[in-house]
Formats: sequence, C-alpha cells, structure tokens
Amino acid sequence: MFKKLLTSILFLVPFSAHSVDVPITGNVQSRCVITTDTPGVYGNPNAYTLTTAAADGGVQPIVRYDVTLADAYYAQITTPTSFALSPSLSDTVTWTGSTEVSSLSDATNMGSYETNKITFGQTTQYDLTATGSTWFKSTSTATYGGNKAFPGGTYTANIEAVCIAK
Amino acid sequence: MKKILFTITLLLFFTKAFAHDMVPTYPEFRPSYLEGVLVTDLELFNKRNDVDYYEITVFDEFWNTVPFVTSYKILKLSYLERVKFSVYIRSKDRNRATYICTKSRIRGEVGPSTVISSMICSKIKKDY
Repeated sequence: MFKKLLTSILFLVPFSAHSVDVPITGNVQSRCVITTDTPGVYGNPNAYTLTTAAADGGVQPIVRYDVTLADAYYAQITTPTSFALSPSLSDTVTWTGSTEVSSLSDATNMGSYETNKITFGQTTQYDLTATGSTWFKSTSTATYGGNKAFPGGTYTANIEAVCIAK
Repeated sequence: MKKILFTITLLLFFTKAFAHDMVPTYPEFRPSYLEGVLVTDLELFNKRNDVDYYEITVFDEFWNTVPFVTSYKILKLSYLERVKFSVYIRSKDRNRATYICTKSRIRGEVGPSTVISSMICSKIKKDY
C-alpha cells in the first residue's frame, strides 16, 4: 500500500523542465527598396513601332519605391535607349520614353512628386520627400528607321530604376 | 508614421513583387587591418527571383568610378538570400568616394518585354 502510494506521488511530482529562450532579433534601418511590380510588355501596333502604351496593346512597366526615411532619397527612372536583346537591326531606332507617378501611399505628403519631377533626356528624377510607397509607370516607344518593319524576333529593353541616397 | 511603416511591411511581405534592398543608407568607412586602407560593411537582400547577380561599384560625386576592392565585384545572390559584404578603398580616396551602389544584372534570355534593372546607391557618411 505504502509502495503504491509512493509511486503515485512520484508520478505527480513534475520533472524539472528546461526552457530555452529562442531570440528573434531584428534591426530596423532606414532604407530604400526598389520593387518591380510589372515588368512591362511591348505592343506592336504597326510594323515599325514597339510600344508599352496600353492603348497600343502594350503593358506599362511599374516600379515601386518604398522609403522609410523622409527626404533622404532620389528616385531616378531611365527609359530604354537601346535593345538589350533583338534580332540584327540594319537601320536606326528612335526611342521616346516618359515616366509618371502611378500611385501614392500618402497622397497628402507625396502629392507634389509629379509636379516637382525633373526630366533630363530619358531620365526622370523624383525627390522622395515623404516616407511610404510610390508607384511609377513608364512608357517606352521604339520606332524603326524610315518606317521599315521590325524584323521578326524577340525584343527586350532595359528600364533602369535607381534609388540614390541624398 | 506607424501606419505607413505597417503598410510598407504588409506590402513587402504579402505582395508577389520582386525587390532589391541594401542597407545601410549612410555607410561609414573605418580603418581596416591594412595600413592606408579603409573598410565599410553593407548588406544586400535579393527579393527578385528574376535576378541572381548584383554588381558593386563605388562612385565619386560626379559618378566617376573610384577604385575599390571587395570579395566579389559581382555577387551571386539567390532569391531571398541575404549577404553581408565589405568594401575597401584607399585612405587617399576617402574624400572622393561618395556612393556605393549595387546594380542588378539581368539575364539575357528574358522575353519580349521591358525588363527593369534596379540600382541602389548608399551615400558614404563623411563627418571629417
């Protein structure tokens, strides 16, 4: 009887449990993150034009900038001036391009981005004066020389999105 | 401010977009174990599944390249991989060196489209 009681008591005594803390560390730093939301596709409205304009069957590339520090970065977006990949082209290609604000996470503090943008050549620069996310969309058009037809093949061009700390 | 940071966090974690991220924004050079050579550390995060390589460059304020040394000038970085790297410059270039940039290297075989190359430039802190 006594032995049974002792055994029962032993089962009730909790064994010493070791707990180990698993630390989760994080480091919050000011940053600018460039995100490619939509890569963009060239439409081919006629034989001698490739364009990302939606009206011509293209898809406009969209880039998002997320900044966590106000007034610390410039966004520069440059539309293409040459093909990164194309069939052999014997004539010149004329390039036009533009970039504009597509969407803002904070319309109050970012409302002036579009009016204050600076454009030089194919590059558009925005002063990111507020924290949050900004979406920029670009249009790129390539016209083949003398309105000749682009040869068949795959065409790829680079849009460069840069974030520069002030 | 908290609302904005929360929104950014949500966007970063729950969207299917592809991002390029580098910190710190303002790196600072310090003396290295080599005489006449300065070093700083940066961290790069690849959240672009269309990019495997990033090129490191150091520029002056006029965007001329400044000589520098690092383990790999072109870093191989898999999707969702994070890497810390050090950049070394000569002490005599400390006033010239202004930006440290990483630029995505796009694969050549992408389809009939525009591709977006991303470049992030940190500005070197100069408090001397």
